[in-house]
Amino acid sequence: MKTYLGEFEELVLLTVASLGEEAYGVSIQQDIETRCKRTISIGALHSTITRLEEKGFLKSWLGGATQERGGRSKRYYEITQAGKKAVAESKNMRDELWSLSKVKLSLK
Amino acid sequence: MKQRQPPKLARKLFEWYCGQAKVNDLLGDLDEWFYLNQKNKSALAAKWLYWKQVLSLVFSYAVRRRKQQAKVSDFASSSFSVAILNNYFKIAARNLYKHKYFSIVNAVGLAIGMSVSLLLITLYVHVCTFDNFHAQKENIYRVITSHRTVDREWELALSPFSIAERLNSELVGIEKTVRINSSFSADVVSGNLNIPLQGYYTEPSFLQVFNYPLISGNPLSALQKPNSILLTETAARKLFNTTDVLGRTFEVTGQGNFEVAGVLLDPPKNSHMVFEALVSHSTLPPAEQTYSGDFKDWTEFGRQYVYVRVKDESATAGLEKYLAELSGEASKRAEAKIDFRLQALTDINPGRDLVAGLGQQWDTTGLIIFGVICLLILLPACFNYANISIARALKRSKEIGLRKTMGGLKNQIFFQFITETVVITLISLLGALIIFYFIRAEFQSMMVSGSMLDLSLTWKVSWAFFIFAMFTGLLAGFFPAMHFAGLNPIQALKSQGGKRSSKNRIRKGLTVFQFSLSLCFIIALILFSRQYQYTLNFDFGFQREGIVDVQLQDVKPEQFRNEFSKLASVSKMSMASHILGVSMTSAQVRSVDKNDSLDVAHIFIDQQYLDIFKLKLLAGKNFPNEIWQREKYIIVNEEFVKDFQLGTPTEAIGKLFSIGGKDVEIIGVMQNFNYRRISQKIGRFLFRMNPEEFVVANLNVNFLDTYGSLAQMESVWKTLEPEKKFEARFFDDEIRESYDFYETLLKLVGFLGLLALSISLLGLLGMVVYTSETKIKEVGIRKVMGASTPSIILLLSKDYLKLMLWATLFAIPVSTLVANNFLAAMQHYHVTLSFWDILLSLAILLGLGLATIASQTFKTASTNPAETLRAE
Repeated sequence: MKTYLGEFEELVLLTVASLGEEAYGVSIQQDIETRCKRTISIGALHSTITRLEEKGFLKSWLGGATQERGGRSKRYYEITQAGKKAVAESKNMRDELWSLSKVKLSLK
Repeated sequence: MKQRQPPKLARKLFEWYCGQAKVNDLLGDLDEWFYLNQKNKSALAAKWLYWKQVLSLVFSYAVRRRKQQAKVSDFASSSFSVAILNNYFKIAARNLYKHKYFSIVNAVGLAIGMSVSLLLITLYVHVCTFDNFHAQKENIYRVITSHRTVDREWELALSPFSIAERLNSELVGIEKTVRINSSFSADVVSGNLNIPLQGYYTEPSFLQVFNYPLISGNPLSALQKPNSILLTETAARKLFNTTDVLGRTFEVTGQGNFEVAGVLLDPPKNSHMVFEALVSHSTLPPAEQTYSGDFKDWTEFGRQYVYVRVKDESATAGLEKYLAELSGEASKRAEAKIDFRLQALTDINPGRDLVAGLGQQWDTTGLIIFGVICLLILLPACFNYANISIARALKRSKEIGLRKTMGGLKNQIFFQFITETVVITLISLLGALIIFYFIRAEFQSMMVSGSMLDLSLTWKVSWAFFIFAMFTGLLAGFFPAMHFAGLNPIQALKSQGGKRSSKNRIRKGLTVFQFSLSLCFIIALILFSRQYQYTLNFDFGFQREGIVDVQLQDVKPEQFRNEFSKLASVSKMSMASHILGVSMTSAQVRSVDKNDSLDVAHIFIDQQYLDIFKLKLLAGKNFPNEIWQREKYIIVNEEFVKDFQLGTPTEAIGKLFSIGGKDVEIIGVMQNFNYRRISQKIGRFLFRMNPEEFVVANLNVNFLDTYGSLAQMESVWKTLEPEKKFEARFFDDEIRESYDFYETLLKLVGFLGLLALSISLLGLLGMVVYTSETKIKEVGIRKVMGASTPSIILLLSKDYLKLMLWATLFAIPVSTLVANNFLAAMQHYHVTLSFWDILLSLAILLGLGLATIASQTFKTASTNPAETLRAE
């Protein structure tokens, strides 16, 4: 396996991608919490984001301060080419397994 | 709804924890969450959640990582290249050149500090090579003995010959055993000179086990026949002026004729065995040769050494077990706990401190003590370097600030400064080598077996020196390098140089330590020299002047007396077995009445002895003036009377004792006098009378012309014993020589003190120069405002004066305590440290210190302010 993506890492990467230009700390956390119906800690989220940055799957820049933030700027995240490749690989592998499945996986 | 602020404490905590890390976005996120939570939940819940998030972040990898990144500039690169090393060297060289004065002070200080250590390194390297030339060195062992009785314990390098015999006959796995008796000592008659020759009695296996090659002769048969001898090259030259001496014979006084069975190469300097000759074991008197089954074989084995060569490592276990069995057997017979053990040949040097070691012995403890002394000298030198470097950090701070801003990592800066220090220590190494050359000869002459040491510079030693210099560089450079590496680039660029009082305190502490050490050395020096004087002028309780001791050698005492009493310069004469105050013998003395026995020191004398040495009798009388037939009387001292509880001196007269089977009666009691070195208390002592024991004549002389009288004596001697050299010494010279130890100690302490003192003065000089330099403008302004030169000198010197006073406060109690206890333990009769000693040492230290300070401060204080302020 070339790269290893954890379940939460994959989730964060996909969320960043789905949020497009509006992906920053709070929005990512809110999106994951509402979508997955689970609470995640801010520390765990940022640790994962940091690791993804180190792996080169995410890049970030500063911008967009608001009143609610006490005038502090947001750090926006964007998925990189390597990140796209990593999620694509992960998806391919899953699709392959889905298609190969001898058991009927679909619940409908 | 009222807009609330997030909990301040939580935010403060977070900000404090993150420090320099960039976490603005995280704080923004936290605020946004707080705002959102406030809308949906209660204020308390929002606050609680804020706290929870802060803690979650504090323990997260994200913040940890950001903190790490904050330490490093964005330009940082941790890659390492030779180019950067080149740059370090270049910068180091330029800096050393630019600040020549400090470089010289530092280099000289380190050179002095390192010089003694170089001696230790050479010595250690040499000692480690001991006995490495034997072919099977790892399979050769020596049997050593530990001998414990109720009140004494000895660790002996000796072991009885009986062991060798038992091993040969009873144990397998032993290849060879070698018995060595170290007592061979002879006077070789050659013309009308006597040439001394020293060596071992040993057997043919010696040449097979050890690697001492023969130049001529047959190694298998060389040590077989009685009276056959092997000479080393040097010994052969000494006796015959040639090494081609196979088969020649020579006469040894009292031991008959010996035949040269071969010539050996000289044993190398790293051989622990030192000999000029090897004599066949069969030459020894039969009683000393072999195992007789007598219990004495297990208890009396002076000068007997047993070496064993085993087949391989595995045989040692069996050997040790067997030795344990023998130990048990020996313990039973000797009424003492005796343990025979193995000592590997390579463990002999450096090794344990054993009694009666064969040849050269270097014990580990001694080396460790030497090492501690070296560290005591080296460390202050390193302190100096650290001190001066940190003090001067201000001058370098711009460079460091710039390096850090441009991406210099902490460990890179650290490495740069270590490199710089190593460069300077390598320069100092050259200086240290020069000092080392000068002190080496003196050192060798001080050591007992110094002349046998090989302290030359080999490749190995040079490498050790190089590594040592690197190590010193690390030691000296560690603190300054840490200091520089830890500088904050912003402060450094502002030239604030991180003024932290804790570092100042350490620096001051180090200076105080150095001066305390110097003061201790000075005090020790003064104390030892006073003790030396005290010893020389000590009232031993007997006459020392005007007495010449002549060795009787083989001349009959009566004959000697007859001939020498004819001389005009000799007024009185007596004979004795030992030299008073220097040597003596001892024996068990048993009280006939009380039946208890004690060990008593004694000397054999004649009737004139008490008169010549002006010894006072308290009771009784001198030995009777009659023709001697057998020992009848003894004269004892006060301590003897006290120890045997004989009451008053008068009551003691006539009491009967037995010494070595002879019954004797106390005829006189004399006043106590120092019959042995004054390091020991006067104990019980007695005089015996037995002309057979006489070896030395004491002539009471009245010299008008010393040289002429001695020449006269020599001519009389020639008529008595034409073949032997006339050996006469002044008695007080002999006494003085027996205290040579003090002189050596004095030299040693003096030298070390000189080193310590010069190192601390150099350190002081460096610091004073630095302060004077940095304060030069301040001084200029003060002078313009009307300050006088003396007041400025005081201003500049004040701090250092304070440090020196602190040092005095520490040093005086410590040195008083150590000096008095140490001297008291070493010397029973000793001087005590007086107020005047301390005052004198203090005057020396302060005098030198003040001179150093004044030399610099005066210069600064007297400069024309116009010169220093012109640039402003």
